[in-house]
Order: sequence, then C-alpha cells, then structure tokens
Amino acid sequence: MKLLLVIVILVSPFFFLGIINKVKAVWAGRKGSPILQPYYDFMKLIRKGEVISRTTSFIFQAFPSISIASAVFALLLIPFPFYGSVISFPGDFVLFAYAFGFSKFIMVLAALDTGSSFEGMGASREATYSTIVETAFFIVVGSLALLTSQTSFSVIFSSLSVSAGYSVLVKILLVISLFIMLLVEGSRIPVDDPNTHLELTMIHEVMILDYSGPDLAFILYSSGLKMTVLSILISDLVVPAFPNLLLVMASFFLILLMIFTAIGLIESFIARSRMSHVPQFIFVMTALSLTAFAVIAFFLRGVK
Amino acid sequence: MNYILTGTLLFFTGGIAAVFFNEKTKGAIFLIFSSVAQFLIIPEAFKVLLNGGQLECRLSLSEPVGVSFLRMDPLASVFILISSAGTLLAAVYSIGYMRIYSGKKSELSGYYFFLGLLTAAMLLIVIAQNAILFMVLWEVMSAASFFLVSFENEKKEVKKAAIYYFTAMQVGAAFLIAAFAWTSSASGSLDFSSFGSVLNSSTNISAVLFLLFFIGFGTKAGFVPMHTWLPKAHPAAPTGVSALMSGVMIKTGIYGILRIILLSGPVNPKLAYIIFTVSLATGIIGIANAVSQKDMKKLLAYSSIENIGIIGMGIGLGMIGLAYGNAMIALLGFLGALLHVVNHFTFKSVLFYGTGVVYSKTHTRDIDKLGGLIKFLPGTSFLFLIAAVAISGLPLFSGFVSEFLIYLGIVNGFSVESLSLNIFAVLGISGLAFTGAMALLSFTKLFGIAFLGQPRTELHITREDKDSFLLLPMVFLSIIIILIGLFPYATVYLLENAVKQFLPSNASFMFDQVKMNLQILSGSIIIFGSLILFFYLIRSLLLRKKEVTVFKTWDCGYQEASSRLQYTGSSYAQPFMHLVAELVPQKINLLKEPVLFPKEASLESHAQDFSERFLIQPVIKFVNRFFELFSWIQSGRLQQYIIYGLIFLVFLLIWILGVN
Repeated sequence: MKLLLVIVILVSPFFFLGIINKVKAVWAGRKGSPILQPYYDFMKLIRKGEVISRTTSFIFQAFPSISIASAVFALLLIPFPFYGSVISFPGDFVLFAYAFGFSKFIMVLAALDTGSSFEGMGASREATYSTIVETAFFIVVGSLALLTSQTSFSVIFSSLSVSAGYSVLVKILLVISLFIMLLVEGSRIPVDDPNTHLELTMIHEVMILDYSGPDLAFILYSSGLKMTVLSILISDLVVPAFPNLLLVMASFFLILLMIFTAIGLIESFIARSRMSHVPQFIFVMTALSLTAFAVIAFFLRGVK
Repeated sequence: MNYILTGTLLFFTGGIAAVFFNEKTKGAIFLIFSSVAQFLIIPEAFKVLLNGGQLECRLSLSEPVGVSFLRMDPLASVFILISSAGTLLAAVYSIGYMRIYSGKKSELSGYYFFLGLLTAAMLLIVIAQNAILFMVLWEVMSAASFFLVSFENEKKEVKKAAIYYFTAMQVGAAFLIAAFAWTSSASGSLDFSSFGSVLNSSTNISAVLFLLFFIGFGTKAGFVPMHTWLPKAHPAAPTGVSALMSGVMIKTGIYGILRIILLSGPVNPKLAYIIFTVSLATGIIGIANAVSQKDMKKLLAYSSIENIGIIGMGIGLGMIGLAYGNAMIALLGFLGALLHVVNHFTFKSVLFYGTGVVYSKTHTRDIDKLGGLIKFLPGTSFLFLIAAVAISGLPLFSGFVSEFLIYLGIVNGFSVESLSLNIFAVLGISGLAFTGAMALLSFTKLFGIAFLGQPRTELHITREDKDSFLLLPMVFLSIIIILIGLFPYATVYLLENAVKQFLPSNASFMFDQVKMNLQILSGSIIIFGSLILFFYLIRSLLLRKKEVTVFKTWDCGYQEASSRLQYTGSSYAQPFMHLVAELVPQKINLLKEPVLFPKEASLESHAQDFSERFLIQPVIKFVNRFFELFSWIQSGRLQQYIIYGLIFLVFLLIWILGVN
C-alpha cells in the first residue's frame, strides 16, 4: 500500500502543476491550458534531441539525473499519513534535507559550468536563500522533535496526533513556515516567478537556461516532485487522525489539492517581491518556527 | 610500544638523512624512511584501536622531567594514525610539488628536516604523560612548523605570516604553561595521572583550569577568537605543509582538549555549554568568512576553522551528554567529533593538494582570475570535486556521516527534560544547518568559479601532466572519503574503543544501536546512489540515436560575450555578504573621478576578520604601547649598554660579597 502511494505520488507532480496554472487562468478570467498540459510538454521534451554548451563539463550532464534521484529519494523518506515512510531510521530527516542539499550543490555547479553570467546570478541567489531556508527547516524539525521526543520522521508525525491542546497553535505556525519553504524551494511567487521573461530577475529558471530536451524534462519533473514532497510534509501536520483509513487518504489528497490551489491563488493575488526583500520574506519562516519552538518549550518545560 | 618509538625515530632520522643527499633524491630518501615507519606504526595503532587496552613504557629522564610515562591508548592511536599517514602522503606529494622550487631554492634540506621533526613531535605529543615533556614537545612542534611556514622567507608576506603564527603559538603556549604549572603544583606531580585530583574537584578552580587549557589548546586548534593565525599561516606555507598543518597539526589541539576531559572526570554542565557555544560560533564565523575569500588557500583555512567548530560541537555535545548522564548523547557527540577529525584530515588534504596543483600550473590562487580548469586538469578537478562535496557534509561522501552523528546527538537532546539543554539543542541544530548551507555556498564558489566556466584571465596553462606523485595521495584519500561515505558503520568498529574511554562502562551496548542505525543509513545512501545511476542510465537511453548539438552557451541575445563577463567569486558571494555584513564587514574601495564622464574607475573589496579587527589588533596595540614605555632602555648607543653591563657586574660583586 505504501508503494502504491509512492507510485501515485510519482505520477502526480505535473497534475498539481497543472492545477496551479488552471487556478491562475480561471482567476484571471481566461480558459487556460488543460490541467494535463504539463504532461504533454513533458512527453514532447522527452522525444526531442538536445543542445549542449561547449563550455560545459560532465557536471552539467549529471545534474538532471541527480536532481530527479534526490526528489524520488526524498519521497522514500517522507512519511505518508497513517502509513509512515518507506525508509525510516533515527535522524532520517537529516538525510532528507541533505539529499536535497546534494542536488542543490550540483545544480549550482551546473549553472556555473555554463560560464554564463545570468546563470551565475541565479546560482548565487539560490545558494544564498538556501542558507536561510535550511536553517529554518531544522528549527521546524527541532520543534517537532521537542514536541514528541522522537528522532525519526515517521515516528514524529505518528505521535503528533495525540499531543496536547497548544499543539494546534504550534501546527498553525509550522504549517505557515513550511508553506514558505515550499514557495522558496519551488521557486514560486513572491520569491521567484516561473513565468518571468527577464533573465536578470530569475532565480531557478535562469539556472536551467541551457537545458533542453530530456534533460529539461527531468528538471521540470523533479522540481514538481520536490514541491509535491514538501506539500506532503505540510499535509502530515494537518491531516486529522480519522478512524476510517479511507477518510484519512481522502483528506490527504484533498489537502494536497488545497495547497496547490493556494499557491495558484497567491500567484494571482500578489506580485513577486523585490530581490532585496526576498530574504526578509524567508526570515518570516525562521521567526515562525522559532516562535513555535518557544511555545512548545514554554508548555512542555516551563509550566510545572 | 617499541614499534611506535622506532617509527617516530625513523621520521626524525629520515629528515636528517635527507640533508646529506642531493636535491633530487632528498624527497625519495625521506619517502623511504617514512614508508618504513608506516609499517611499524600503522599496524600497532590499529591493534590498539580495534582491541582496546593500552601500550605503555617508562622513561627515566634527567630532572626536571624525571620519571615519565609514554602511554598509547585508543584515543592517542586515532591521532597517531592520521599524523603518520598524513606525513607519508605529504612526503609523496612533496616529491612532485617541490619541483617548482628546484633550482630556485637550496633549502629543501631544511624542508625535509623540519617535516621529520614536526611529525616526530606530533607522534610523541599524543603519548606523552608528563607535563614538562609534553610542553617541550609542544614547543618543538610549534618551532618546526614555524620553519616550515617560513619556507619561502624571501617573500615579505610569508615572513610576516610566519612571525604572526609563531607569536600566536607562544601566546597559546603561555596559557598551557600556566595551566600545567598550576595543576602540577597543586597535585604535587608532573604526571598526568595525578592531575585528576585537581581537575576533578568540581570547584571554581578546576573550571578556571579547564578554561585555561581550552584557550591554550584552542589556539592551536583554531577556535574563534584565537583563530586569526590560520588564514595567515596556511597560504604562506608550501602546499604539502598546509595540508599537514590543517589536516593533522591543528588536531593536536583537539587531542589536548579531549585528554583534559578524560582527566577531569565528572563534567561541569556550564563548561560543556561554553565549549558547545564557542564551537558553534567558531563554525559559523569560520565559514561566513570563508565565503568572502578570494585566495583559495585562505578560503580553505577558514573552512578548517569551521570544521574545528564542528568537531568542537561534537566534543561539547559529548560533555553535555556526560553532564546530564545521557550516554547516548555523549556517545554520538564524541563519536561524531573523532570521526570528523579523521574525515577533515582526508578531505582537507585533498583540497590543499588540489590547490597546490592549480598553483603550480597557473601560478595564482586568486579564484577570480581562474576558471575552466576542469578542461585542463580533469583528474585533479574530479578529485577536488569529491572532496568539496564531502567537506560540505553532503551524502554519498564521508563528511555527511560525522555531521549526521552530531545532528542525531543534538536531536536526542530534545527528549531530555531540561529547558536549557533544549534551547542549546535548537541553537545547535539550526547553527549546524546554517554552517552546512554556508559550506555549500563557499565550496560551490571555490569549485564553480575556479574550475568551471572559462578562464577569466589569460592563464597560459598546459594540460595536466599525469604526475603520479601529485595525484596518488589525492586518489588514495578520495577512496577513503567514498568508502566512509558508503559504509559508515565500519568506522564505529574503528573508533569504538576510543569513544568508550569517555563513557561510563555500562554504555557499551549502545554501540550496537548506533551501528544498526548507521547500517540502515548506509543502505539508504546506497539506494540514493543507485537512483542517480538509474536515472543517468535512462537519460543515456533517451538520448541514444537523438541529435545532440554542441553549441555556445546561451548569451540571452548578447553577441559580444567574453569570458570576462562571467560571474566572479566576489559577485557570486555578494548577496550573501550583504546579508551577513555585520558578521563579516567588507571594506570597499571605490576609485572614481568625481566628474560627469569618468574615464577610469576601479573597485576593490576586502573582507575583514571581525575578531582580528576588534579583538586582536586592539590588544596588540595596547601591548605595543605598554612596552614602548620601556623603549628608552634600548637606545642603540653602545656606551649605554656598557654601563648596563657595568652596573650588573657591580651588583653581582656586592651580592657575592654580601652572601659570603
């Protein structure tokens, strides 16, 4: 059953991306491209040939596979509601974060590999913002570990549902902070605009300027999958512990849909921030997760 | 034990023997001696590590040392292992690398002599059990490394750096001497085993003594704010020596701290928190400075400071675990720290060796002038990449394992019911993540700017010559990096006995738990690796029979792109340096004519070391001003000095007559 879930999630990323585009189109009063459009794009790219820059080395060609592998691997580590994760051991979330880190390391190198100053810009921004996101992510995990006294993803989330009343507040704080992480890592508005047309203002898109064909398809898929994995993490916090398994699964997928709808709505409502304001936005994640930690520490250790 | 002592003697005599041979064979002679020494030392060290127990021998030296013991326990064996292997690799590498000095330099005798002396001192330091013997060896080590740093002493900045280094070492040694003198006079013996009664007394005095030791050893290791000598000394030294100093020598400071913890018995939680916090600051400040560096070796030096911080966090965590009686946290902390000592030795050596190859080929270490080296030096670049990923603590390679253990120790701290421990745990976990992310930033900068893209200036570089003396040490270390990365549980068998020394005796069953945990980790990492290979295979299948065009990089429509338009290291680091401007202040010199159409303009930016500027410099200024008060004594006039002599003689005469 766990494996079935993994397979369902493996085929769904483009569907979720399609949802974002549909929501944006409907809100703007357009009909928009079909929800399945990202699948068509993917199949088209897979069938094409490639153009590779002569400045590049093997790193450039290795990145797409590493990127997709890290996203799939993260899916194996992330716990599903009720079922838990495929692989679980104490400290697994460190591997979860660092597998993405490995992919990011190679992505930045692949961008610098082309020798393009635009891609250097993107690489620099990506690496800078990740210093804040990474830190905040570990505060989130630390808060959850404090709340549950557990050390692995699956056990943390399975023992979350029985916690005390103040955990509602904690969950709200952590959900918002993980949602910010999703926007940053998924390169969505207000951090980055996937539809922007000016290379100077891009972050993620500009780093993959030189990719084409199957390589580009791989990268598009893995960034979709990465977003899906992060939204599973959010849904782990909010899916209620219904006694009925069917109800749990239904609410799980419903929440995933809601998360991607929310991204679409955010992109319809607000414009992207100025580049210099992006760090402030990401620091909100740090602030919220620290607040969550303080709340837990206060109720768990302070009041005696 | 005799094997170890003979091996040590071989390193020393190897250095002396090299003096008597001509320039071309010096390196080979030293290499032969140090390889023979390996055969004596390495098996013995492994025996103690794997079987536990200790080797001991008694030395009767003349006063003031007196009877002293040399004792090799598993903890010492870890350091003996890296010192011995590190010198062998440096010896191999030096044969290739020191060629760039051939003809220009007749000082190779000194180089090998002091290399042998340094190694002998490092090997003996970790087994010496007598305070005076220890301090003598400690100073021999500092002096030998001083001469190695000042190898190119005809250059002004090298001479300056070497003197700075030596001064820093003496300041550190002063703290150590004070601490040792205090402890041994209170305990009535110079032998380490009697120190326990003083360091153990859980009074304020024992805490002060511990801090004195920490400052003394911390200066050698490079803890903030005593770290400022590292970024000066490492670039000045010849590359083989930089690698040995950064990979091995600074770890003797770590050894000293660990030894003092072993001698101290029960841990004071406040001290544990101090060590943990200082280490955390060391990690963050070290790597934040590394991001802004332009000189490859300076960047590596700051990254050494960061890694010392990570090791220190492991040690602090271990102490916290002991203080709270949580053996699991203590185990993970000390195991992580010791494993990181070994790991840092492997990848930092590769990085320095790689930098040496780059320098010998291009005659520059300025990241902003380099670029595209991967085309010219494919072998070196590949090995450098492995080490760069490993030092950033990313999975598949060894750096991840030790950081993982420390992370896991910190996370265990959340389940202990102590608010202060929980708060330190969240500081630790986020701080470690922050250093990890900054390491990613600085090593993508180092590798991405220097090795990828196109050369930013004309480099006149020739293709890599397959010099096995240069490449072999890097290949050997890279294999270890990969093996530890894929099979981390094997290291637990190796370090188990060394870690056990710190733990209460009933904690040994926990090692099985850690081993099992690491086995699952190993399995998952191998799955990750196979997934990468699997998707790469799919990609190759998809691209088969498809048209793959090789064309220039997309220039966004701008046709006149030149390689100078590429992002430089400074521009790559700029957004981050803007964020941490308070932590790493930048000094920016903008030269521009104040007219409407300026013809020339230039901009320079330098990162300033916070503690250098606000702590070290003011102290030096104060000391200088104080001693200037006495400068009239040194007038430079001969007559005055003769009067001094006369006055002295008169006093002597009066004293002798008076006594009689």
